[in-house]
Amino acid sequence: MDKGMLEFENVAAGYGEREVLKDITLSVGEGEFVGLIGSNGTGKSTLIKCISGLLSVKRGKITVCGRDNAGLKAKERAKLVAVVPQSYHVEYDFTVEDIVMMGRNPYMSLRKREGKEDYEIVEDAMRATNTEMFRERYYNELSGGERQRVILARAIAQKTKVILLDEPTSALDIHHQIEVMELITKLNKEEHMTILAVLHDINMASRFCRRIVMLKDGAVYADGTPKEVITRRNMESLYRMKLMIRQNPLFCKPEIVPIRVMEEEKASVRRHIHMICGANGAGKLLEELDARGYYVTAGVLNQGSTDYDMCQELGIPCVETEPFTPVTEEKQRENLKLMQDADMIVVADVPFGEDNLNNLYGLETMSGKIYFHKNALSNDFTGGGLVRRLEEMAKTKKISYFGDHDEFLEMLRKEETEGAV
Amino acid sequence: MKKINRNRGIFLSVLVCLVIVYVCTVTGIAAISFEDASRILLHEVLHLNVSMEGISEGSILIIKDVRLPRVVLGFLAGASLAVCGAGFQGIFKNPMADPFVLGVSSGAALGAAIGIVFHFGTMLLAFAGAFVTIWLVYSISKVGKKVPVATLLLSGIAVSQTLSAAMSVIMILNKQSMDQIMFWTMGSLNGKGWNQTLMVLPYVLVGMVLLFTSARELDIMLTGEDTAVQLGVNVEFVKKKVLFASTVITAAVISVTGIIGFVGLVVPHMVRMVAGPKHRVLMPMSLLFGGTFLIICDTAARSMATWELPVGIITSLCGGPFFVYLLRKMKRG
Repeated sequence: MDKGMLEFENVAAGYGEREVLKDITLSVGEGEFVGLIGSNGTGKSTLIKCISGLLSVKRGKITVCGRDNAGLKAKERAKLVAVVPQSYHVEYDFTVEDIVMMGRNPYMSLRKREGKEDYEIVEDAMRATNTEMFRERYYNELSGGERQRVILARAIAQKTKVILLDEPTSALDIHHQIEVMELITKLNKEEHMTILAVLHDINMASRFCRRIVMLKDGAVYADGTPKEVITRRNMESLYRMKLMIRQNPLFCKPEIVPIRVMEEEKASVRRHIHMICGANGAGKLLEELDARGYYVTAGVLNQGSTDYDMCQELGIPCVETEPFTPVTEEKQRENLKLMQDADMIVVADVPFGEDNLNNLYGLETMSGKIYFHKNALSNDFTGGGLVRRLEEMAKTKKISYFGDHDEFLEMLRKEETEGAV
Repeated sequence: MKKINRNRGIFLSVLVCLVIVYVCTVTGIAAISFEDASRILLHEVLHLNVSMEGISEGSILIIKDVRLPRVVLGFLAGASLAVCGAGFQGIFKNPMADPFVLGVSSGAALGAAIGIVFHFGTMLLAFAGAFVTIWLVYSISKVGKKVPVATLLLSGIAVSQTLSAAMSVIMILNKQSMDQIMFWTMGSLNGKGWNQTLMVLPYVLVGMVLLFTSARELDIMLTGEDTAVQLGVNVEFVKKKVLFASTVITAAVISVTGIIGFVGLVVPHMVRMVAGPKHRVLMPMSLLFGGTFLIICDTAARSMATWELPVGIITSLCGGPFFVYLLRKMKRG
């Protein structure tokens, strides 16, 4: 990890007058697996072009394996760095073996033609990428995922220390996306190859890369582990949209959930809506009401439930209780306090049991109108307690029932227009 | 298994081509029988112990100094144009490219026209014309150190059209030379002997070596220039090398024969359909078939009637429809 395989010192580069990279300083050590992220046009691909010699830098210096990149001949560079572009077409009938053999070009000269050693290296590269079975087939007859494996084999045949990947998985289906990423991970772990991959898919980068570099406006904006880089603040500034970061439970890596780019139509009056929720069914409604500009509160939520996470993400004030603990009367009193000024109280699609039936106590004493998600009735584990509670509430207060969240929004809109008249 | 088949295929093609070349050498309108011609060829060229009884000096002369150099020159010309065509199609990644696409032929024709009008060094002027044209096209297209292929093609077309127009002006102003210029632009091997053949040979040899040693790089460039750079190919150098070599060869050949069209376009295509796109096979096979194709056409040109047809007309007459056939077949396939 000590030796820098790729070093950028204040690099600036671009096309014509336009500078895409303004000031890049970055060091990638041996054996690292670095994901390069950034929105469209932030210069990720330009960076790859600068390293691979397609574009010369305007200012600054790039060092590849300790050698000044500007002084390298194409052939020498191709022995140090291999490039895997995004989906790649060839119009001519080259066989898979022909294409992989092209990876040996840097080692060929007028005197030296393909020898036994080269054929062995090509064979190994095809075996490593599981492409040896289509050795004789034409490259342009293969599917996108197979092609990408062949190109990866070609890069392996180059026997370089560094592999650059430019969106290697775009245009592939998820099977082939994961397959390609797993192959790259294997190369990184088993062959100790240094990997720098431009990735569009943040979740893919988070899952596979040990280090993520985020570019913005032609400079390095953030650099660190997935956890350090993939934060809501970074991502929102990168993509200029509303999104959510949560921990993927399977890979224990941060995961991005894009929410919306366009602003929701704002409610005419800012009213207070309180949600009774606490499982995993209210997230969408919470987010949408929040986006429309309502003052949203919620309770009583068990910590760790999806609805709770959503409230944390959106900054919605809520009454919370520890995981898997019943809603006590004390907590419900807190909850009632939070909703006492609410214009509306919405009971979301929550499975009711003895533990959380308390959530419904005292609602009839509140001033807000009560709305109830019909589906909650079909997840009733109270042995009739829920229905009795509703009947009791109905004696003193009207309960409006709704079927899904669109219907509720429709009711809300209707009521607002009527209220306005 | 596949390799053996391919080797056998190559061996068979070489054999068939040799037979065709032989047959073409011994056929012709001069009143020399097939048998006599064969005997002369076997005795004089291969130095076999064949009886020369009853064969006149004149016949020997016709075969040895007229027909044989013509066949050899024909082979050289056809082979050269086909190999250059393969090289051009490689660097341009364009199936419609041929050795004349950048205006070598128009430049040579203008040079030749000036030579014909002033009765002065037609061949030299044609050769110079070809070179000046390529230099012009190249300088126009150059952006910094690079030469983008698309710009090269476009400026080739522009320069070529301008030069053709200039040639037309010369023809109109010199009506007495019109026929001669016209015939020159249609290409012919008529009246070419050992002198011209030996003059062309060194250029062709040097050029061919340059082209054949670019085979691997050309293969990689077919998969895209950016990729080629990333695989360690000095793309700009290879482009220059192929352009230069092809220009040397083509200029030398057409300054002697005039413009022989279609060989450089059709032959590499035919070969590519059979032998695949790899230049290591494509170039030698184009050499073989290009040479043979032109000899067949030339034999037709000198044997079909009592007067000579320019061979360029024959190549275009055969090549054009054949090309259409290939295109239709590919579309169906």
